[in-house]
Amino acid sequence: MAHVVLKDLIKTYGSFKAVNNVSLTVNDGEFVALVGPSGCGKTTTLNLIAGLIPITSGDIFIGDRVVNGLDPKDRDIAMVFQNYALYPQKSVYMNLAFPLQMRKLPRDEIDKKVREAAKVLDMTQLLERKPRELSGGQQQRVALGRALVRDPAVFLMDEPLSNLDAKLRVQMRSEIKRFHQDLKATIVYVTHDQLEAVTMADRMAVMNGGFLQQYDSPAQVFAHPANMFVASFVGSPAMSLIPLEVSTANGGTVLTSAEGWSLPLSQLNARKVLGATTRKIVLGARHSTIKLHKSAAPGAIPAKAYTVEPTGDVTFVQAFLSGAIVNISVSPNIAVTPDEHIWLEFDQERIHLFDGETEMALQAD
Amino acid sequence: MSTIAETASRSRSCRRGGVDGWRWAGRIFLVFMLLYTALPMVWMLITSIKSGFAAMQFPPQWWPDEPTLASYQKLLDPQNSVGQDFLRFFWNSLFVSTATTILSVIVAVPAAYAFSRFRFPGRNFLFFTVLLRNMFPAVIFLVPLFILMRMLGLVNTHGSLILTYLTFGLPLAIWLLKGFYDNIPVQLEQAARIDGATRFQAFILIVMPLSTPGIIATAIYSFIGAWNEYIYAYTFLSKNEQLTLPVGIQRFFSENTTDFPGLMAASFMMSVPVVVLFLVLQRYFVRALTEGAVKH
Amino acid sequence: MTIVTGKTGARQELRPARWSLLLQKIWEHRADYAYVLPAIVVMLIVIAYPIYYTVELSFFNTPPGLQLRDKIFIGFDNYTAILTSQVFWKVTWNTLVWTLASTFISFALGFAAALALHRDFVGRGVLRAILIIPWVISAVAASYIWKWIYHSDFGIIGAVLVGLGLTDRPPNFIDSVSTVLPSLIVVNIWREFPFAMIMMMAGLQTVPDQLLRAAKVDGANAWQRFWHVTFPHLRDVSTVTILLLAVANFNSFIIPWIMTGGGPSNASHIWITHIYELAFGRQRWGVASAYSVLLFLFMMTLGYFYVRALSGNERKEANS
Repeated sequence: MAHVVLKDLIKTYGSFKAVNNVSLTVNDGEFVALVGPSGCGKTTTLNLIAGLIPITSGDIFIGDRVVNGLDPKDRDIAMVFQNYALYPQKSVYMNLAFPLQMRKLPRDEIDKKVREAAKVLDMTQLLERKPRELSGGQQQRVALGRALVRDPAVFLMDEPLSNLDAKLRVQMRSEIKRFHQDLKATIVYVTHDQLEAVTMADRMAVMNGGFLQQYDSPAQVFAHPANMFVASFVGSPAMSLIPLEVSTANGGTVLTSAEGWSLPLSQLNARKVLGATTRKIVLGARHSTIKLHKSAAPGAIPAKAYTVEPTGDVTFVQAFLSGAIVNISVSPNIAVTPDEHIWLEFDQERIHLFDGETEMALQAD
Repeated sequence: MSTIAETASRSRSCRRGGVDGWRWAGRIFLVFMLLYTALPMVWMLITSIKSGFAAMQFPPQWWPDEPTLASYQKLLDPQNSVGQDFLRFFWNSLFVSTATTILSVIVAVPAAYAFSRFRFPGRNFLFFTVLLRNMFPAVIFLVPLFILMRMLGLVNTHGSLILTYLTFGLPLAIWLLKGFYDNIPVQLEQAARIDGATRFQAFILIVMPLSTPGIIATAIYSFIGAWNEYIYAYTFLSKNEQLTLPVGIQRFFSENTTDFPGLMAASFMMSVPVVVLFLVLQRYFVRALTEGAVKH
Repeated sequence: MTIVTGKTGARQELRPARWSLLLQKIWEHRADYAYVLPAIVVMLIVIAYPIYYTVELSFFNTPPGLQLRDKIFIGFDNYTAILTSQVFWKVTWNTLVWTLASTFISFALGFAAALALHRDFVGRGVLRAILIIPWVISAVAASYIWKWIYHSDFGIIGAVLVGLGLTDRPPNFIDSVSTVLPSLIVVNIWREFPFAMIMMMAGLQTVPDQLLRAAKVDGANAWQRFWHVTFPHLRDVSTVTILLLAVANFNSFIIPWIMTGGGPSNASHIWITHIYELAFGRQRWGVASAYSVLLFLFMMTLGYFYVRALSGNERKEANS
């Protein structure tokens, strides 16, 4: 196993910058997820690491080697593809053997390794089948097996679960996590599904528009999103973002809405807001941190329920505030009906504040 | 309840009547097409086993009174001057067609692959230039090519034919194969390269086997095209020992205008190789058309 | 946000350098050209040079025997000679009839056969194989077979017609001005409908079953399903097939050349046989070249639609 370092990585297509100055380090044995919406540059980044496309500028290290100009075959990596990319004309056995054959291993050693990998992944009885005779989950497993047999320095995975159905996806998620723990493998994992990243990765790199937005542990990214994009991308349902304006009232700092209400800020939050370059402030709050009152309460802001979605153990209520959609989760024994008047109370300790112009999270120096 | 069942069954029987109508129309049509297609070939075979005298009768003998293989014996007998010529023409055709086929595949496969995979500047322009070749009738190129071949010293050689035939087959071959490569996920090659293959190995070991039906179809198409070609062979070759079958037969029977059994036997013999080749490999051909040309 | 400014900034930077960018791109892709080079070289030798030469020759009066050093420049005289000649219009009319009739009847028969063969029944494979054979047989062989069938004394069709009492004596199918062209078209269709059949069979395999079933659920009958689902789905294939047939027919030579040589009295001459006769029969290279150029211009127009039909799928892909 080895670490991976990306330094000022840039990839341009004509005038389009697909990957823009991305720098990050994946430690030895670490599971890192590259996550972002489609077209954010995450798959391009992965292909750059794999050497499938040439880099425009910057450096890639695998272990202590610069691999910029190396062929994929010389980088000591394995990759799992979204569509599995199993060789359709070859049996499962031959699919698993192919990487070893390419490295000119002796036949008996290939056989030993293939059978070992098949045993680990519980598919010994499938070895003679062709890929098209396998279910999606089985194909996925063969693809993993093909990556595994070679014992590479780094595993690259490109949305390996997105072609599976929901139930299988959850199952394979834990299998891959298990696989990582057992092998202590270095894994770079691309996904558009933030839930996969949050549940599996040691660290997640959130990308958008070719830029690296934030690179930290899932807990940190969740608790302290660096900017509005990360805040809205990570977490489900998404963090509610309400555009407001700063003003002072009765000697304190408040956020006022065009709708007429205002929200007094705690001292800490007031310091954050005053550090902003603009008076436009975006208030962010996750669904579980907003308290819903059925009648007027001190400090609570009046709103009207728009939709109510019971999911069993929790009920999601959507409301409009200052033109933004606000998600609130409540206990299922609180009955809310659409168009009912409700009052929302924000937790000063757990709200997020963003600069309305730069969209960056505000810090208290 | 009962009324629903009744209407359902009525409408079903009614629909079955409609489907039956179409099915019968289809059957009658197929019988007609079978007769249209097969009768001329059957008549060719029947004539070929008649004697010259028996063929020239009115009304014709529907089945020869004395069937004879004399025409075939004459054509295949190396002692006979007719047989010598026929066997030589046959051999010439085989040589030219095989050479054309091999070269077509060698040239078309990398070109089709490049048009499918790479995004180099001028790709579309070059691709359509290649396709446009099909638009031009042979005759347009005949005079200048004749002069060109004379310059290259290729007149009266099989090389002139092979070079020309290559260009007939190439456009369709490249187009078909490109469709094939378009349908092979690029991730397969990427996987192979990560698994330790070079770009070339990935192509040879992974992509080539997957495009086998396309390559076979391309090969059949080139072979049949070359085997049956007439106009260039007619123009470029004048020496008797170089002629290919279509020209050879035509030249031979312009001297023996009434030997229809011989002509039919020769036509039959000339058709056998390509028909057999095609029938054996036709499922590849249809598959290649489906995957390469039709479905995108 | 920084992302937006970053992107537009880059675009402005790069725009003035488009030409050097193109050169740079060509240089980056230099290895890719190696793959297409053999194909391009062959095409250049056999297409580009001949086209250039034909155009040049069409402006000259050429002596027979291809002693081309002695050619004389005569401007557009060859072209005026062609366009004012009686034969030209006769041959053009023949070509139109030949091309249109052959193309559309072949397509209709081939499409119908493909539909009829689409349903599974005993002997389907054998029947399909038999129907394809004429396409594979050499046109020279086909010409001789049909020449024998049409024979004015011993032809089988004539014998059948006489036997049935429809005529007193066998008709002269290919020796009579009025019947020669239709008779040759029958031969041509015999050889070409299988191609349409193969193409349409391939096309039919791609019609999604789901759509047909959905239409069935919606209450469409067999004809409606064909007209509203199958046929629209096959539009691209049909266009390509018809164009390929039209080009092949327009360019056909062997059948009329071997069966009639263009006769009797030009009744079965089409453009290609006529050009061939002018060039290699009467050795009027200049006039033949001018004919070729006219043909070429016509084909370019047709070629425009051909390329558009072939690239249709590609454009759709690019748009999606």
